[in-house]
Amino acid sequence: MSEPTQSYLKVHYELRPAKQVERRMLIDAFQLLSHTGFSIRDYQYTGMGSIYFVDFILVHRLLGISRMLSVEYDTTIKKRIEFNRPFGCVKTKIAPIGDVIPTLSKDLKHILWLDYDGVLRNSHLQDVSLAATYLPVGSILLVTVDVEPPKGDDPAEWREHFETEGAEYFDQTLKKKDFARSLLPRRNIDLIAKAIQSGLSGRKEVEFLPLFNFLYQDGHEMLTVGGMIGSSTEKRLINGSPLAETNYYRKDLDDDPCVIKVPRLTRKERLHLDEQMPCDDGWTPSEFELSADNVNAYRKIYTYCPSYAELLL
Amino acid sequence: MFTRDISLEDCILDLIDNSIDGLVRTRKLDISSVILQENTMAATSKKANLLQIDISYSETHFEIKDNCGGIRRKDALEDVFNFGHAPGVTGGTLGVYGIGLKRAIFKLGEVFDMKSQTIEDGFAVVKLNVKEWAEKDDDLEDWKIPLVFTGGADSEKHAGTTIKITKLRPEVVMRIKDGVLEQKLRSVISRTYALFIGRYVSITLNGKEIVGFEIPLGKSNEVEPAYDIFEDDGVKIELFASLAIRKEQEWKAETAGWYVLCNGRVVVAADKTELTGWGAGSLPQFHSKFRGFIGVAFFRSKDPMSLPWTTSKRGLNQESRVYQNARNRMRGIARPIITFLDSVYKTEMPEDSAGRTIANAVKPVSLSQISLKPATVFAVHPASRSVPTKVSIQFSAEKANVETIRKHLKAYSWGANRIGEHTFNHFLKTECPE
Repeated sequence: MSEPTQSYLKVHYELRPAKQVERRMLIDAFQLLSHTGFSIRDYQYTGMGSIYFVDFILVHRLLGISRMLSVEYDTTIKKRIEFNRPFGCVKTKIAPIGDVIPTLSKDLKHILWLDYDGVLRNSHLQDVSLAATYLPVGSILLVTVDVEPPKGDDPAEWREHFETEGAEYFDQTLKKKDFARSLLPRRNIDLIAKAIQSGLSGRKEVEFLPLFNFLYQDGHEMLTVGGMIGSSTEKRLINGSPLAETNYYRKDLDDDPCVIKVPRLTRKERLHLDEQMPCDDGWTPSEFELSADNVNAYRKIYTYCPSYAELLL
Repeated sequence: MFTRDISLEDCILDLIDNSIDGLVRTRKLDISSVILQENTMAATSKKANLLQIDISYSETHFEIKDNCGGIRRKDALEDVFNFGHAPGVTGGTLGVYGIGLKRAIFKLGEVFDMKSQTIEDGFAVVKLNVKEWAEKDDDLEDWKIPLVFTGGADSEKHAGTTIKITKLRPEVVMRIKDGVLEQKLRSVISRTYALFIGRYVSITLNGKEIVGFEIPLGKSNEVEPAYDIFEDDGVKIELFASLAIRKEQEWKAETAGWYVLCNGRVVVAADKTELTGWGAGSLPQFHSKFRGFIGVAFFRSKDPMSLPWTTSKRGLNQESRVYQNARNRMRGIARPIITFLDSVYKTEMPEDSAGRTIANAVKPVSLSQISLKPATVFAVHPASRSVPTKVSIQFSAEKANVETIRKHLKAYSWGANRIGEHTFNHFLKTECPE
């Protein structure tokens, strides 16, 4: 079993711009799915809300979901979790998420976000596989992991980590060179995809329909893989939905992830860029130095990007 | 040649299956629906009324005799002595592939006698030499086993089948001589027919009764077993998982793991391998600290062909989609039990005392009792117990310092332990007065 991690002590959840962009993109996607015939309002949202519940607040306010369950396994902050519940309709449970997954109602559709803040562990893959087994058709599964090098500074050590933690999902033909720093996100994606496939094996006429594959970095580089457990009906609906037109939609996990990069900009710079958005390819501002790459990155995320300011409450 | 792919034990189980199928047919018992019920036949009957299956063997013969209702003449002609099953045979029987009985007979010996009577009619096979019969190939009729028709039994109680095989094959005689066969058979039969023995039938082996194995599934006021039920392609699947009952305050690794049953027959017992989901997907490898785990997976269908067992009926067909789906869900309901056992054995041995108390209080529970309730997950609700008031303290001290205190106290006979206690009490009295 995985030990509870404590990233809530390291950084205030609300101050992670890239993570926030990801959340806004997910909310956007769920809204688009609502317009396509998925009644997202009636879904149950199950996440790992820690003590901040940022995702719960968004999901309730922007999607109207009122069946919400936050699962945490850190018994030392039991009271804090309960104390910080943002709404009466958020239920909390102190248990390993893997014990909770089989208990999720079979009569509801779910959005389940396995939002781990550590590097990929075998217990995570076990949870993922379990989710693929139990989530009813139409449910959405999201998996987030840290994709920084797991330990040491040698790809051979990294390979060892993934071999141990990946267990039967690990591809033994992979060599040390396949564990170059830049390839680690790919290794994570592949293992998660295999765990999903294994959890689905034996389910009739159901497949995993990928929707998301995000890579972002506020400190550590993080990966979120997500999609729907669906049949041909759901597949048809998604293909015809406006979600399929967005720049963050990923239909195939073999495709490169959608990289969320939030350029560091002053307020004044940002206002200036916004005036030009969406800008043409290759456009850069003449008033200050900003590379085309950064402009491009900004163009991808500006509608989802939070603004921070000090509030004296 | 087709008798080579199956063990002697499997053959004998096939013959027992044949007897039990007699019971299923003549009593119109739908095993797929009644096997989990509290009791159907035996509830109203005493032990003496159980149907009887008697197996005996020596170096010269093998015999199985039952009063389970017999085989109808029609079935003998169209099904039992045909190669392959006649179409449309259903009812939740155990004989799946129609070759079990013949295969078993051919494997055991060269000559067989058989007598079967239902209350309607009967037939016999008299001293058929299998070898000679198999070699005869003059016309199509030679492929039929020559049956002698007889009258029916005088009462239901006397309806049944007797098969006697003589001129045993040398490899069978060798196994009989090896001295361990009987014990092995006793244990295999006891496990395989755990749900039949004592409820529907009594089985004896060489005159001694076989006691049915009890799957050590447990529950208590604090421990609630997990139960899941679903249907997949006409197969009804029920999963049970909980803590095992203990013997002498210990869990036994031999009986831990998953038990998989098809139409009531135990196909796999106490499995701790990937076959039942361990060490793959969402369950860790089996480890001795998980020996408190017991799971039962129950597959039932009126059509035995749709069940995920292999032709030997002592293995699982892992390619079966129904089984793959069920196995993933077996992992799911096992998880909370693994979490609990992990917490009991945080630092390997010994187990923590709260966990031990919970484990020792677990009592046997029947599958039917659990299945009366709606699907539920495994849960432990610890009763509030009085917290122990004492704690022991142990620490190292310099011998010289202990000696100094001893001299100061003029307590030359006191051991280090008593000196430790004295200094503790002294501090408590002088520094922390109430």
